Amino acid sequence: MNKREESFSEPVWNQAELLERVDNDQELLRELLNIFKEDFPLTMQSLESAVAVQDLKDTARLGHTLKGMLSSLGGVRTAAAAARLEAIASAGETASLRGALDALKQEAASLLPELEAYMAEVRH
Amino acid sequence: MKILIADDDALSRRLLEKTLERAGYEVTAVENGKQALEQLCKLDGPRLALLDWVMPELDGPSVCRAVRTRSEQTYVYMVLLTSKGSKEETVLGLESGADDYLTKPFNAEELRARLRVGERILLLEDRLVEARENMRFRATHDPLTSLLNRGAVMDLLARELHRAHREKKSTAILLGDVDHFKRVNDTMGHVVGDEVLIEIANRLLGAVRSYDFVGRYGGEEFIVVLNNCDPNFAPARAEAIRRSISNRAILSAKGSLPLTMSFGVLLSGEWGLRSVEEMLHEVDIALYEAKAAGRDCLRIAKPPAKAEPPPSPLPESVRLRH
Repeated sequence: MNKREESFSEPVWNQAELLERVDNDQELLRELLNIFKEDFPLTMQSLESAVAVQDLKDTARLGHTLKGMLSSLGGVRTAAAAARLEAIASAGETASLRGALDALKQEAASLLPELEAYMAEVRH
Repeated sequence: MKILIADDDALSRRLLEKTLERAGYEVTAVENGKQALEQLCKLDGPRLALLDWVMPELDGPSVCRAVRTRSEQTYVYMVLLTSKGSKEETVLGLESGADDYLTKPFNAEELRARLRVGERILLLEDRLVEARENMRFRATHDPLTSLLNRGAVMDLLARELHRAHREKKSTAILLGDVDHFKRVNDTMGHVVGDEVLIEIANRLLGAVRSYDFVGRYGGEEFIVVLNNCDPNFAPARAEAIRRSISNRAILSAKGSLPLTMSFGVLLSGEWGLRSVEEMLHEVDIALYEAKAAGRDCLRIAKPPAKAEPPPSPLPESVRLRH
């Protein structure tokens, strides 16, 4: 099994693991999701600018931040994509930056609706 | 127990904060290494710390190194938070002075268990510090009266005499002996004798200022050092200290005992810079004179007249000019 297949076998959002981490505290979970909703787009924006100018240092740093944020939240596959981007930037593989960023955006695109759906659900 | 969290990611920080508050910790959360270091350097700051590896300003290992260079303060137990790290990273982290590391995302159970390890270490440190302080106290204090012992008084006095000489101030040394103490011991027994010594120690302590010191010099001999004591007021102050013993009887288990003390007094300003041993020799002679004069009094040790030559008349050339 190669790396790609392995990551696809993971859920987009490991809600169960996250609930365990917050001791089933729905309110805290909502608070964390709100922090994420605020911080994630800003960090992504900075990351896109860093990739656009091929700033390896900033790309690695922002990739790392996203990796932490996403893995805390149980966004396992998106976190893995952020980790790949960080690794590529750290290794200085400028040519692969764009592709890794696109992969990250793709993963985020499947994670965000799940989070939104959960938020909508608990609000009612 | 206080704990510090340092993580630049707001989400991870909030999650950690809440998890630790639930576990009963008093949490301080900061977002970079510089703030973390400030918190850990504070007096009474947290002694447990969770530090993210990658942070702005100062990273986790740098915070660890900086904290470890301050050896004078109490131990801080530090746990580094890393993403799935390589072996080299782990080694680097521990070498920087961290006590443990945890990989993110953390498992709440494991986090709590590892912090309990930290608490055990800190408790152990507290016990060691307490034991050391007890030893230090015992090495410098008299077990019966809890006053400074002779060795400690000699050390403090040597320092004080140098300081007074440097600052052109005077230190008053009082060497006192309980009059007829042997009679108390012989007729009332040693238990009462001990009671008397404790009461005298308390009265002497009560008669001086907080920055003076009182020590037990030997059996029934006590030493009082009045720091920065104006020579003009020293005799009156010595008198007041003497009267603190004679002005009312000491209540013992076997009745009230009217006791007195004799004192030798020396004002260091009148003697110039001399060794502690010389000064104590002189003040001991003065104490002997007080005893010979009938006890319950004090005598001041005066330097021989030639130590202070009388002011010489002005040379003629100077006088002529006026």
